[in-house]
Amino acid sequence: MMLQHGSTQLLCLTASSGVPLFTRGASKQLPFSVIGSLNGVHMFGGGQGVVLSSCETEGGGKVVWRVFQDSVMLIIVSGGGQDGAGDIKEEEVRLQRLLENVWSCMVLVLGQDELTNVRNVERLKRDLRSCFSLIDQLLEDRQQGVLGNLTHCVDSLLPPNPTLLQEALDSFAQAADSEFGCLIVHGRIAAATEKWWRLAPQEVVLLSALIRSLTASGSASCDYPVFLPHGSPTVAHRLLRFQLLPGADVCVLCGPTPSLHSAESGMVGRFWTPLVETLRDCLAVGEHSLPKSVSLHPDVLALLLINRETRRSVSCVRTSTNRPLGDPPLPSKARCWEILKLFYIFSTTRYFNQEETLCVSPEERAQRGNTEDFICGFSHQPLQCYLVTEECKSYGLQTPQHQLFVLAPLSVPTFALRGVATQTLSDIVAGTGF
Amino acid sequence: MAQVLPSSGSIIVADWHRCKDSKEYFNKILHKKRRKNFGLLESPVMPPHVAVDTVHYKIFLSGKSGVGKTALAARLAGSNIPNMHYETTGIETTVVHWPVKLRENGRVFFFRLQLWDCGENALRRFDHLLPACKEQVDAVLFLFSFTDRTSFDDLSNQIAKWTGAPVGRVVKLVVGTKFDLFMHCDVAERDVTNFQETWSVPVLRVGGEVSDGLGDVAPLLNCLAEHLWHQDCVTAGSTRHHSQQETATVL
Ligand SMILES: Nc1nc2c(ncn2[C@@H]2O[C@H](COP(=O)(O)OP(=O)(O)OP(=O)(O)O)[C@@H](O)[C@H]2O)c(=O)[nH]1
Ligand SMILES: [Mg+2]
Repeated sequence: MMLQHGSTQLLCLTASSGVPLFTRGASKQLPFSVIGSLNGVHMFGGGQGVVLSSCETEGGGKVVWRVFQDSVMLIIVSGGGQDGAGDIKEEEVRLQRLLENVWSCMVLVLGQDELTNVRNVERLKRDLRSCFSLIDQLLEDRQQGVLGNLTHCVDSLLPPNPTLLQEALDSFAQAADSEFGCLIVHGRIAAATEKWWRLAPQEVVLLSALIRSLTASGSASCDYPVFLPHGSPTVAHRLLRFQLLPGADVCVLCGPTPSLHSAESGMVGRFWTPLVETLRDCLAVGEHSLPKSVSLHPDVLALLLINRETRRSVSCVRTSTNRPLGDPPLPSKARCWEILKLFYIFSTTRYFNQEETLCVSPEERAQRGNTEDFICGFSHQPLQCYLVTEECKSYGLQTPQHQLFVLAPLSVPTFALRGVATQTLSDIVAGTGF
Repeated sequence: MAQVLPSSGSIIVADWHRCKDSKEYFNKILHKKRRKNFGLLESPVMPPHVAVDTVHYKIFLSGKSGVGKTALAARLAGSNIPNMHYETTGIETTVVHWPVKLRENGRVFFFRLQLWDCGENALRRFDHLLPACKEQVDAVLFLFSFTDRTSFDDLSNQIAKWTGAPVGRVVKLVVGTKFDLFMHCDVAERDVTNFQETWSVPVLRVGGEVSDGLGDVAPLLNCLAEHLWHQDCVTAGSTRHHSQQETATVL
């Protein structure tokens, strides 16, 4: 057992020589000798023509290695499932995702060139510090209601008045000489330009994470240089962000013009002042992500709905479902978010397709085979699955267009779950066109 | 030529936030005893019979990485001060609304101070950021940390960069951060006094827990407002009485 249960530590080294670049996470750092051995054993494998990708420890801990662009090695060490829930398989998926996200966020901030053509290690070490804010945010992953880091489907909010917002956003982006714009409300995308949705899903998710962290500081506007890990890994764009109202931010990706000052003084008021009330209505949707007009089945405790085509998701945990006296207690809100994540991993690793297979090299994918073991044994694709635990009941279903994951209280009879889920899906789709 | 500075409290009412007649104005920037966060589409609104003009200013925060620029912006805006140092990897602006009463005629203004904070390492890595910060800037706050001698020693270099023709008129103030960490203090009071006399630039001190919200930030914000207002008057005067001033210079 290397680390405390529930804690995660990230190590970053140069791939060629194993020089440590940084470590993040876990209050108690691993000793240098352990870091050296972890790197050594991977190198040894490499010498034998073997790619060491992960291993488990006796105490339920897990280590995952990954080399990016032959230049940077990331190693993640976890002291076991968070909150003791989820088995080793769920944990591996979580860690793989984390590593990809960490690498992408290093590219987002520093650009690929600086990471792959290392001329001066000391300088790289210093520059990497500018990624710590995002990396720590990914490691902590505390933000309730944000599942995109895991699903790589963008957390969205469905506003009551989408057309007005869409039009304002399109004209605003156009005025700012940009094809890429989005409106973020409560940390979720409420509207985005056509082109924004065509960014790689992982980019959209990371940009959302960056915007959320900028929003949290309460600043009024930003001009941040960003590289796009897939679309533009070597040339920086400018992410301009404006806080329209507390909780509602508009962003555009720009080239050299317009300046932050001119965009703010010349465009923000002109395009958005007429929409203040619409924005307030949108803020009122709150963390439910769904407009009030959609009434959810009373037995739904929490849900995650993914649109497989647009790669967007909506999710919510309901605060008060009235529980008849004598029923077992419902899991807390925070716990519901946690279970939702675990059930998503459970279903997608065992039964459903994960939307985009983890971006790994083909050789590695062959060894990994998360979904494969089960699915390969069958000629058909499962459409629904359920899981009953001590805390609640979970039901998942997929159609060509959607994947839905719902949690229900233990008091709901298991045979009724399918009905609850199918009705929920049709209610939301009919009410919002999602 | 040393710049002629207004003496503190000569133009605006110092400690106005403590006076009774300021209450209705300061209430507009508070919400549940905390400072209110305004979006760009909002601003403090007074009832129609109390007409208050708003004056806009752009202020750049200058100083090396870790000196406390982001923390200062948060402090002045009354938002949560980060306790970890995470580098700012671009420009972040923070808007502070601050009511001010002029001594001369009792007129009240809302000062809308937009603080421009750009991480020092980002400035170095990307060439376009500094020009963006300089565009139409009205004031620069030069930050040094009481716990870092080199940041203090570098002040004169920093100020020199902002003096002279291309920049135009800019209010300059110095802010010493981490004044609360006196155990690690690396800059003596005497050095600060000397500096202030040599450069005739006011030096303000910040640090420590934020207590009641307004009292902590009032001295700095009032000082800044006073200098900005003074600069505007001088600029307005010099354009109006341009010939007059030229004679004065010749003499
Ligand atoms: N005790 C104390 N700590 C402070 C004070 N001001 C800043 N700090 C701490 O100093 C560290 C760095 O502050 P930042 O405001 O992030 O530094 P910065 O100037 O924005 O740095 P860059 O963005 O990298 O250029 C943080 O951990 C702050 O909490 C202060 O007045 N007192
Ligand atoms: Mg900063």
